[in-house]
Amino acid sequence: MDVRVCEVTTKFGRSALSSAVLLAAVFVLASAYTATGGSSRDLLVDEMLTNLMLVVGMQVFIGNTGVLSFGHMAFAQVAAYATAVVAIPVVEKTKALPDLPFGLADVHFGPAGSTAFAIAVTLVVGATIGIVICRASGLAPTMITLAALFVVDQLVKNWKELTRGAGGLSGIPQQSVLWLWGGALVALVVAHVFQEARIGRFAIATREDALAAPALGIRLFTSRYAAWVVSMGVIALAGSLRAQSLGSVNPKQFTLDSGILILVMLVVGGMRSLSGAVLGAVLITAGTELFRQLGDPQRLDIERFPDVFLGGTMLLVMLLRPDGLLGDRDFGGWLRRRMTRRSDVTTVAPVSTGAALEATDITVRFGGFVALDGAGIRVGPGEIVGLIGPNGAGKTTLFNVITGLVEQQRGRIRLGDLDLSEATPVEVARAGLARTFQNLRLFNNLTVRENVALSALVAERHRSHRPPVNIDELLEDAGLAEFAHRRAATLDYGNQRRLELARATALAPEFLLLDEPTSGMSDTESLAMVDRARAAAARIGAGVLVIDHDLGFITRISHHIVVFSEGRMLAEGSPADVRANPLVAAAYLGSQA
Amino acid sequence: MTRLLQSLLDGVGVGSTYALLALGISLIFGVMHLVNFAHGELITVGAYTAYFFFLHGGSWWWMPAVIIGAAVLASVATEQIAFRWVRNASPFTMLLTSFALERLSHALWQIFVSPKQRPFPKPAWVFNSLTLGSVRLEVMDLVTIGVTAITLVGTAIVFRRTLFGIAVRGAAEDFDAARLMGVKANRVISGAFAFAGLLAGIAACLIVMRTPSAEPAMGSEWLLKAVIAAVIGGLGSFSGAIIGGLALGLLETFARAYLPDVATRLDRFSTGIVFIVVALFFVLRPQGLFTVSHAERV
Repeated sequence: MDVRVCEVTTKFGRSALSSAVLLAAVFVLASAYTATGGSSRDLLVDEMLTNLMLVVGMQVFIGNTGVLSFGHMAFAQVAAYATAVVAIPVVEKTKALPDLPFGLADVHFGPAGSTAFAIAVTLVVGATIGIVICRASGLAPTMITLAALFVVDQLVKNWKELTRGAGGLSGIPQQSVLWLWGGALVALVVAHVFQEARIGRFAIATREDALAAPALGIRLFTSRYAAWVVSMGVIALAGSLRAQSLGSVNPKQFTLDSGILILVMLVVGGMRSLSGAVLGAVLITAGTELFRQLGDPQRLDIERFPDVFLGGTMLLVMLLRPDGLLGDRDFGGWLRRRMTRRSDVTTVAPVSTGAALEATDITVRFGGFVALDGAGIRVGPGEIVGLIGPNGAGKTTLFNVITGLVEQQRGRIRLGDLDLSEATPVEVARAGLARTFQNLRLFNNLTVRENVALSALVAERHRSHRPPVNIDELLEDAGLAEFAHRRAATLDYGNQRRLELARATALAPEFLLLDEPTSGMSDTESLAMVDRARAAAARIGAGVLVIDHDLGFITRISHHIVVFSEGRMLAEGSPADVRANPLVAAAYLGSQA
Repeated sequence: MTRLLQSLLDGVGVGSTYALLALGISLIFGVMHLVNFAHGELITVGAYTAYFFFLHGGSWWWMPAVIIGAAVLASVATEQIAFRWVRNASPFTMLLTSFALERLSHALWQIFVSPKQRPFPKPAWVFNSLTLGSVRLEVMDLVTIGVTAITLVGTAIVFRRTLFGIAVRGAAEDFDAARLMGVKANRVISGAFAFAGLLAGIAACLIVMRTPSAEPAMGSEWLLKAVIAAVIGGLGSFSGAIIGGLALGLLETFARAYLPDVATRLDRFSTGIVFIVVALFFVLRPQGLFTVSHAERV
């Protein structure tokens, strides 16, 4: 069988297995609960299953992208009403909604049709609003989702021709609990598949570091948007099935408060983990019910005790375990790691394309400060060029200009025949420049191997003209094989630096741009780094441009050294030449002495 | 002309209360990058404090001091109990912590006092008015504007002249640099919370003088407006918060005075519209009207 087909089948099978195991656990708990009490207990199980679907829907977006949304309930609301207007039989519908627009008056679908219709409507609405949400950054997406929630809420209350206002709609044919179990299974499988899929991995990378992901060729918008759309689909399923389980819809079902309830489930369980989402849904649904029974119906505080429980639980979890009860522990993830086999790709160094990296006449001003003043640099194919200079010489600024993070006022950047002068970080990375960062930017909550595997995934998709790399060989080169399944955040400083190198290498770039790869390392470690960086570059046939303060490291590793001072090139030449140059001694070594 | 002056006066009256709250939110955002959703609860705390003291023979002569004191204490307490421990966590965690506090506050007032509104007496002079030419001046408006003006001038002096104020402003620009300069993080943040509490306490006094009652969720409406004002002004910008608050107050009053038809019709969608505006603001000018730049070092 084709390797790719085989891989897709494995991913799907794994997702289905994880989902089934999680849901089976829930089923055992639910059966034990309903078997010991009256039929009112069935209602709680219904509630828990819809909650579970909603949490899973939120997890797909919030958990994978790290962007907080208060507005998911708005879309569940849209789906619930979309279900109502097509699922209620025509006769009753004409009575309740005599002026129903869009020619919906005579439409009537069965349960499957209504669900499909609701998902379609929600996807159209959600995907449109999602464009704005996924383009925004910082706090903006959260505020926009909040706006969406209020707008939908007011539309539902006021667009009476379609929704009958505050009273809501009833008479939706009620479906059995089997639909809810089925829906929960579908939701879990979809969410697991998304986490396994390439685009899902990319979304997770943007969550972990929104600057490092683009520098590896991952587009923030595309991956976030994919997560948003999938999340909308699951939320719509949940909203529609909830309406069909209750038999009615009203504006009070999907409010900010109910959204926060779901959010609490997500953060209590651990938002990065799907197992956590399931755990949260079960725990919070049960806890809320328990506290509801503490309330005194006479004093009307029946809703208040659950509120104390929710607020208190959320506060305690935030203070004591901000990553949630499970953190990164996830059944699906565990299964994936267990099933990871050693990569059997043989890395072959590609035939050199002969492309050189050239930056010429670069000028950058920050306000009145001239960081770069007509500076330039050239790195030939397979060449290792060291860039040194005192603090403020403009070394990192040059890196940032080349990789598209800082815009130059003048000057051109070329990679072979390719003009990268105006390129974005994503385009630069895909064109074949991979960088590391001075102040480490790893995907902290992912394992060492997953960090490297992510760049390999980008390479597979966007740099397929280069031969594939063997992740495990790269890890061995970097001396990280024994830590492959540790979280990146738990590594010591030197290993984190080596991991950044391995991650950049896995992109199979034409050039590696290393920003102070030995900073914070001991002398022996930085000596070893010479060999590691050389080995990594040789394995993928890449040239290297490296900045460092450690003159010993730079002279050992470089074929050619360029010295910057005050935004300009001061000198260049072989390591020996540069050492002998009195200008360099004065500007650079002198200032160090 | 009369209507213009009247609207102007009313708008500045409401807007200055928004400004006091927005300033507190902006201040906290400046020192710890947190949009504090629990900030509105300080008003609730102030109102319930007033209610309890009036139950036991309170008087408006000393009530403002008590309200302000309660708000300051509550603000510092939230920092000590909750926010201190999540200071280095993600903005997500901090935001949810403040949300949790808000929920908890609502629920606790409901359980331990009552879900219903609890009224208390208002100051005798509050609805007095004097007429100047054709403009009717409500004493309360004048008091509001006067108190706010004094508070803002005082705030400006504190932030420009005192060591604490300079430390807070420094921390808002760049906390790490401020720390290197010897600014003590704990003290600055506690101080910022105390100051935000003071501003919220003053706002609470002005609010309960107008509508002397306490209600569990009363803080949330004000909070929403204050967050909007702070966002319009640019989170972290102090002058921006004040101008944002005034702008929002004037906008509301003028819309009601000059476009009453549109205002009523749009009232059904008011929250939605306000939020769309805020969302647009975020997309088109994420830094607010007044820029506080934070360049990230890479």
